[in-house]
Amino acid sequence: MILLVLPFVFALAAFLIPEKLVKYFGLVAALSSLAVALGHLAYFNPEHLVYIFNPNKAFPMGLSFKMGYDGLSLTMVLLVNSIVSIILLANYRKELAENKLFTSLVFFMQAGLLGVFLAQDGMLFYTFWEITLIPIFLILYWFGKQDNNSVLLKFFIYTLLGSLGMLLSFIFLGTSVQSFAYNDLISSGLFIPAKIACWISCGFLLAFAIKIPLFPFHTWQPSTYTTAPMAGTMLLSALMLKMALFGMIKWMIPLTFTGIQDIKWLIITLGSIGIVYGAVIAIKQKDIKTLFAYASISHVGLIAAGIILFTQLSLESAIIQIINHSIVAVGLFFAADIIESRTGKRNIYELGGIAKLAPRFGFWFAAMTFVSVSVPFTAGFIGEFLLIKELFVAHWFVGIIASTTLVLGAVYMLRAYQLSMFGAPKMTQFEDLKWNEILVFALLTVSAIVIGISPQCIMNFVKPSIEHINELMVGGLNFIK
Amino acid sequence: MAADILLLTIITLPLVGSAIIGLFGKNLPKIIVGTIATSMVAGSFLCALLIFMNLPQSQIVHLFSVINLEGLKLSANFQIDALSIWMTLIITGIGSLIHLFSIGYMSHDEGFYKFFAYLNLFIFSMLLLVLGSNYFVLFFGWEGVGMCSYLLIGFHFSDLEKGTANSVAARKAFIMNRIGDVGLLFALFMLLGTFGTLEYSEIANKLTEIKSSGVSLPLVAIVGITLCLFLAATGKSAQIPLFTWLPDAMAGPTPVSALIHAATMVTAGIYLVVRSNFLFELAPFTKDVILYIGLATSLVAAFMAMRQNDIKKVLAYSTVSQLGLMFVALGMGAYTVALFHVTTHAFFKALLFLGSGSVIHAMSDEQDIRKMGGLAKKIPTTHLTFLIGTLAIAGFPFLSGFYSKDEILAHALIHNPVIYGVLMVAVTLTAIYMFRLYFLVFHGKFRGGQETESHIHESGISMTLPLIVLAILSVFGGILNLPGIFLHKGAHWFNNYLNGNTVGLDKVKAHHLEPNQAIMLMVVASIIALSVMTWAYVNYAKRGNIAKADEDLNVWERLSNSKLYIDEIYNFLFVKPLEWISNFVYHYFDVMILKNGILSFASLIEKTGNLSRKWQSGFLSSYLFWMVLGIVGLISFYILKIQF
Repeated sequence: MILLVLPFVFALAAFLIPEKLVKYFGLVAALSSLAVALGHLAYFNPEHLVYIFNPNKAFPMGLSFKMGYDGLSLTMVLLVNSIVSIILLANYRKELAENKLFTSLVFFMQAGLLGVFLAQDGMLFYTFWEITLIPIFLILYWFGKQDNNSVLLKFFIYTLLGSLGMLLSFIFLGTSVQSFAYNDLISSGLFIPAKIACWISCGFLLAFAIKIPLFPFHTWQPSTYTTAPMAGTMLLSALMLKMALFGMIKWMIPLTFTGIQDIKWLIITLGSIGIVYGAVIAIKQKDIKTLFAYASISHVGLIAAGIILFTQLSLESAIIQIINHSIVAVGLFFAADIIESRTGKRNIYELGGIAKLAPRFGFWFAAMTFVSVSVPFTAGFIGEFLLIKELFVAHWFVGIIASTTLVLGAVYMLRAYQLSMFGAPKMTQFEDLKWNEILVFALLTVSAIVIGISPQCIMNFVKPSIEHINELMVGGLNFIK
Repeated sequence: MAADILLLTIITLPLVGSAIIGLFGKNLPKIIVGTIATSMVAGSFLCALLIFMNLPQSQIVHLFSVINLEGLKLSANFQIDALSIWMTLIITGIGSLIHLFSIGYMSHDEGFYKFFAYLNLFIFSMLLLVLGSNYFVLFFGWEGVGMCSYLLIGFHFSDLEKGTANSVAARKAFIMNRIGDVGLLFALFMLLGTFGTLEYSEIANKLTEIKSSGVSLPLVAIVGITLCLFLAATGKSAQIPLFTWLPDAMAGPTPVSALIHAATMVTAGIYLVVRSNFLFELAPFTKDVILYIGLATSLVAAFMAMRQNDIKKVLAYSTVSQLGLMFVALGMGAYTVALFHVTTHAFFKALLFLGSGSVIHAMSDEQDIRKMGGLAKKIPTTHLTFLIGTLAIAGFPFLSGFYSKDEILAHALIHNPVIYGVLMVAVTLTAIYMFRLYFLVFHGKFRGGQETESHIHESGISMTLPLIVLAILSVFGGILNLPGIFLHKGAHWFNNYLNGNTVGLDKVKAHHLEPNQAIMLMVVASIIALSVMTWAYVNYAKRGNIAKADEDLNVWERLSNSKLYIDEIYNFLFVKPLEWISNFVYHYFDVMILKNGILSFASLIEKTGNLSRKWQSGFLSSYLFWMVLGIVGLISFYILKIQF
């Protein structure tokens, strides 16, 4: 339980710390929550589901308040805690790092995210899902660009509207099963007639499609990313949208499996369109943050299309790709922010020659660029390889569409890198990287390489939970027959 | 030492070298950096030589499994057999010579240590490519060399004049290679789908099993697989339609052009086809495609080389053309012949590129042959070795290129005389542009400025030594595979060596010409080489004709000089439309329709709110009015309902 409570405590404690010490506090606190998660990892057996909160009482309206983790959830928990640490490390030298309110909100956000990944109860999942919206909105509102009210409002209402669909689905499911506990939902979900199940999954889909974001629900994203402060963009792209991908794997598909077949090809189609659409638009973008935002749409389209196939391999590679996307998102938006904060420009046509002025930045940005275009020995290589393979097996045409990401990804990333970093310098000076910045890039690159060489360790970790979900579903299906 | 330990040493050494230099090279003296890098590759070469000396039966070394799931096992396995070891010898042998050359060539460069780190990394990736025992490891190497090639082509990205052009060339190479890589990816998927494995030997075994069991072969899938493999090969080996990146890749430092874009990486496509020979043998259609694409490429590229004026561009088109020749051999099923030409080509093309590097070095970075001339006496070692390279590539009798080309021509004659005829045209063109290049550079009067002339000097020992070694190899390389007419015993050594323990190659039937025909072929080839040489000598050296300025070119010369406008055509067909679509979709769909659509939906809600707000006006009279209207409405509704 301490796993979840700790960030809440930190969120409150941040107000009590003197202003000068806040940035140290942030780092230490984030690392200690990571250490707690690692402690859980040390005693973890992937075969079992571990409850961290399990009141064996009947609550009104079928609520159960169960919380716990299996391999899949723990992977996400570790991802959240490490990415939060990295975000705070990246933020370490910025003005915001000394802001109590900001630090507190980040931990608030972390707690909400952990709740989403740990929830074993539908209502709890929904509640935490909505809770995360509060800190991120406040971070964007208080610390983002000044004139971003309309952008923010769009983001807020859009995602809130989506969540409404999920709420309705959960209410329908919970009332018909008389329980919100995950195990009850998953084993009874199969009794729902396919037609109704399809509507329920559409409700989930509305929430997830907006958050992921799937084409054509993505319009809130580029403008939000460009007006948000760096840490906000990172939280959004590296962690928040993973809630939706995780939600698809753990909640949407298993709970409404009979209905999902009808919208399977819809999601694959939207995902594939997103892959090409995001990449094609990214090719001619001038604003480096907008460019990365569209690139992100392209990447997550592939993941969503892979998840909906719901095969053992596609899910495991989707997890790899989820982690990879977090790494890439943090790395690229960090690089974009370094450029923006040192030159005041985001237009890549006004940049150039930075690699000569700041060779260390040139190197590490190049490393992130290569991680992003999925060269061998990086996590993305394995993830994309397997996801495209699964799509290819599902239908060769989808495979071909998905594989365009390999070529187009190289086109827009190399263009962005080359225009901003190569050529004759267009500025007189550019401060090279500081130790914390190098550390961030190095940690990200090294973890991408480690996963790229031995993806098996993560796959082994996630495998039992996916098998478990399958077992529950197959058991239910057999029962019906 | 056991062969498996040696094999792992071969692979690890360059990686270790790259890591050491990349991490610490900045603070080390240049000579130490260069020595580390060179000795790592040379060490790999020695290990490969040790394995080669007593080559065991084909052996697979399992390192670790990357992905191990039910139904999908992908492992880092490596393979020792004749083909992989031979390729390793070429890569590390030529590689260490080029490393040595680079110590001198790059000595004035700021990024010295970076250059060697990349170069070692390239060797590592290339070794993965050829030593892997399955298509998965090959794919790792395949993409890895593409990445190193990108880094090295754009090595001088911050150059004030050419920085942008260099990085654009690098990007072009990477993207074109990526298109080919997608082909390889699909081949891998289809192989997995059809055979359930990516190991070369397992696929070959399954094919023989299927054949012997009498079940019909999955021929359609095999044609698809081979076509995809060939698409990959066209990307890496610069064949039509993906060849335009290679000439631009000459933006990289000259040793890079010699190593990556002449001797090793660009031959990866040929290696891929030879490695997959058991598949290609079952797909005659694909073999025909390879044959004709190779033929077209060799002719078109040779034509383009005719009127290039950049010394490296001439050699680049020549490389494309020679690679085309190799693909012609592959298309005819002459796998060992293609590999023989890969070997000799690696010798003389690396020699020519390094020689051109030495010339450029002497000329203070001038690459335009119109500004050279009469260099023969000023840089004698470079001149002599360059002459040998030129003679070898032009097919001068009894040099290495003579034998390897002759084998291809002989196969063409057996296969189809028309193909032989077309090949002869390509071969003649090769001789013409190579002698043109040689005479313009080394004979006649010096046409550059005085400033440059005063700086001309022969390069140091680290640069001339590799030239001499490569020149010796270019002269005697033909001994590897002497035709039967010269010897009774020991002929076709290379054929027999490769057929010995490479999967599938022993089943391919070798064709040999009648002795009379063979001699005829050689005589014809020699006459052409000699007469072209004489003509070029008279034209360029005696009469002193020099390359024309761009404005004075006639129609065909202009076409050759501007590369048949292929770049412009591609730009018009692919690049521009893609950019246009990108802009169009962004502005008119994403922003105008989607974004504004949602915004107007939001404002619609606002407007309905405003509209309904007007009802709540707060005036009693208006409420009364609506109430009465409602009652009247209800009553009329019921009356109507009763009526009907």
